[in-house]
Amino acid sequence: MRLWLSQRLTAVIMAVYIVLLIILLAIQQPVGFDVWHAFVSPGWFRLITFLFFISLFIHAWLGVSDVFQDYIYNLKLRAYLQMIVDILLVVYLVWVSFILWNI
Amino acid sequence: MKFSVYRYNPDVDKKPYMQDYDIELHDEDHMLLDALIRIKEHDDTLSLRKSCREGVCGSDAMNINGKNGLACITKLIDLAEPVVLRPMPGLPVIRDLVVDMTQFFEHYNSVKPYLVNNDPLPETERLQSPEDRAKLDGLYECILCGACTTSCPSFWWNPDKFVGPAGLLQANRFIMDSRDQATEERLENLEDPYRLYRCHNIMNCVEVCPKKLNPNAAIANIKDLKIERARETKTTKKQIAIKSI
Repeated sequence: MRLWLSQRLTAVIMAVYIVLLIILLAIQQPVGFDVWHAFVSPGWFRLITFLFFISLFIHAWLGVSDVFQDYIYNLKLRAYLQMIVDILLVVYLVWVSFILWNI
Repeated sequence: MKFSVYRYNPDVDKKPYMQDYDIELHDEDHMLLDALIRIKEHDDTLSLRKSCREGVCGSDAMNINGKNGLACITKLIDLAEPVVLRPMPGLPVIRDLVVDMTQFFEHYNSVKPYLVNNDPLPETERLQSPEDRAKLDGLYECILCGACTTSCPSFWWNPDKFVGPAGLLQANRFIMDSRDQATEERLENLEDPYRLYRCHNIMNCVEVCPKKLNPNAAIANIKDLKIERARETKTTKKQIAIKSI
């Protein structure tokens, strides 16, 4: 149940973030580097964006695990593939935080 | 009328094949089952299950032009020719249109589809208020034909683990029953990554159900109840913790 629930919760977080982002973009219309930089610089914006990506990766992890459980019956192969996905997602998360706090 | 029917007799045939029939229908042949019986008059080697011929027993569920349904309540006039008939997908074929439903009924059994009540038997019957009785509407009508479960991809991928829409509908039927005392156990019984949570709401079950039931809503209800239950246990745990302080 915990996994199923996390999938729904992360989906809600992502949905809210996307709507919020579209509204913010529509209102502020950050065209040009300076305006865009000011748009993405506030700490809260970085934080919610980071939250969005954490949700995305948890959501993706759950989804891919489900697909592996459905299609890959060889347990060893499944474990290997799962490990690759795990590593990739952690790398992505570090990468995202690096990008977010370096702009 | 033209038909293309899946044939397979494991004793004789190396592999399944489709056989074409072109049969003369009589005026009184309205339903697909009538046509199948007409085909059997010409070729009695064709095997199929049938019984009540009015959509109550659930015996003649099959795949009709790509969609699961009951032959006895499918109108011939609605079907495009040639009518392609196959056994229900995802279950082993015993012969022609007859499938082995052991797996299906194993899942059905696994949800304990009977009232669990440890109170002494009353003189007459266990009464229910009309409101409580109404909670069973849309659940008790299931005839266990298997059309929903065998149209569910989650069942195709994990037939041994995922209970399937029919079984889960039954689980919900007894969870919702005011006379049943095993709600806790029933919810616990569905706690693993496969039995309940393999349902990803694609709703094939709702589309094919010949009784117009909604297994998807039943499954969603079970999930809701599980969340509610988890929250309740959390609050009780908190209360106990506070009291102990």
